[in-house]
Amino acid sequence: MKIVIIGASAAGISAAKTIKASEPVTEVVIISKEDSVHSRCMLHKFLGHERDAKGISFIAEDFFEKNGITWLSNTTVIGLDAQKKTVKTHDNRDINYDKLLIATGASYFIPPIPGLRESKNVYGFRDLKDAQLLDSECNTARNAVVIGAGLVGMDAAVALLARGLKVTVIEMTQSVMSLQLDQKSAEAYQQLFEKNGTEFVLADKVVSVDVDEVGRGKTIHLASGKAIPADVIVIAAGVRPAFNFTEGSGITTDHAILVGDDLKTNIDDIYAAGDVTGIAGIWPNAMKQGRIAAINMLGEKLLYEDRYALKNTVNFFGLTTLSLGNINPEVEENCDIFIREDRNNYQKIVMKKGVVQGVIIQGNIGGTGFWQYLIKNKIVVSSKNKDVFDLSYADFYGLDQSTGEYNYAV
Amino acid sequence: MKRIIIDRDKCDGCLNCNIACISAHEEGSNFYTVNMQSPDAETRNFIKFDTQKGYLPIFCRHCDEPECVLSCMSGALEKDPVTGHVQYDESKCAACYMCVMNCPYGVLKPDSKTRTKVIKCDFCDDKPDGPSCVKACPKKAIEVKEVSL
Repeated sequence: MKIVIIGASAAGISAAKTIKASEPVTEVVIISKEDSVHSRCMLHKFLGHERDAKGISFIAEDFFEKNGITWLSNTTVIGLDAQKKTVKTHDNRDINYDKLLIATGASYFIPPIPGLRESKNVYGFRDLKDAQLLDSECNTARNAVVIGAGLVGMDAAVALLARGLKVTVIEMTQSVMSLQLDQKSAEAYQQLFEKNGTEFVLADKVVSVDVDEVGRGKTIHLASGKAIPADVIVIAAGVRPAFNFTEGSGITTDHAILVGDDLKTNIDDIYAAGDVTGIAGIWPNAMKQGRIAAINMLGEKLLYEDRYALKNTVNFFGLTTLSLGNINPEVEENCDIFIREDRNNYQKIVMKKGVVQGVIIQGNIGGTGFWQYLIKNKIVVSSKNKDVFDLSYADFYGLDQSTGEYNYAV
Repeated sequence: MKRIIIDRDKCDGCLNCNIACISAHEEGSNFYTVNMQSPDAETRNFIKFDTQKGYLPIFCRHCDEPECVLSCMSGALEKDPVTGHVQYDESKCAACYMCVMNCPYGVLKPDSKTRTKVIKCDFCDDKPDGPSCVKACPKKAIEVKEVSL
């Protein structure tokens, strides 16, 4: 059997690894438009000159040879023929498959703001290529503007600061990383970034960009009337699943490629995993999806049930935060909010009817992995008759005597 | 694979396993000389106490399906196909702490001094005489046993 995987990031690599580990005779071909395998979560380390391109890889150097995987790098898939079971590449090759995994991820989106898309010095921060282009800009640029203060924008900002640029971050919402943090925990990061030279313009938005005679965006105009000079612009305003090449193939899509719990599309033998499915745009989930899609492609049945995606960790300037679930509930949701804080820690727990809806743990996040289980599985914790801040895995301690593994006794 | 099997009824909370773990990761130290005041003094195993259930030893299981490995975006955490143990390569780690978030048993933690690495059981590098915590347990509440991978 020949399995073709499009995409060489978390989902694609994890699928290839799973296939080769359980059925080494299966032929695996990975097609990727990049010429390197890298973890996008470490792009800031590359741009900040903390690591080189090899240093942000998440696989062993001999991964492909050792596992007997064919890797077609620098290759973009432009078409898919589900009847003939072939994919077409940019250099007009037809590659046949028995089973196909689409793990093409997502691509960044430049909002249709006058001057922004036209500017030659506007970059996303998604792939190594983006970071490499930014890297060369950093050699001459002095003023950097980051549009969007989500995790990606903050990653970009931290790298640009490391390169000695003057960084301004523009954000539409009232606070930084508003999907992951509340006002209080966001302020802690904002202050750290400001201390390190970042300027924030919050609750404001870009209305136009002045482009100079060589096509570079020079001045960014905001709704408030502010004008910010820019030598280089990073756009971090969200991503969209990338599946243009499936047009006309018969694969059902919405904003993403639609898959069932077995991660199969509406077409037999075609599966999808990772950001392209729109299920969960976060590394651990993409890895798991890649693994589960692989197992299903090999003919076993395994369902993807871990759809919980409201989770993240943040680590900037040594301040760590865990964020899970609904952390900024609306008043009409009638949640109870509990807060405990000291000099080094801020903890917020959102509860409703004895069930934890969301947590923010800022500061010491050691041993906090159990919270995800409680929230995801809607475990009633009020029966524990204990201060909710003092809960730990020990309160749900269960042992499987035969394997020695833990489980949850709830 | 070899796993530290827990018999929690035998544990009486002496914390010798904690001290042994810290000592095993402080070069040149032993049970008597280990510097418990050092900011590097971090145990990889934990004993919790519950008024009803008694002592609850929490040790890395080197799980069959390790959530920490699945969450690792740098390749620092890998399950060794031969030993079955989850190995951690500090030089690869980017300290994103998604493994801390994903360990359902709350075993993993960032190092408290620098927040640049993860404190995780390394099975004492598979030394032939076994993990230090097991050797230090006077009650045999933790023992290394072979379990099927």
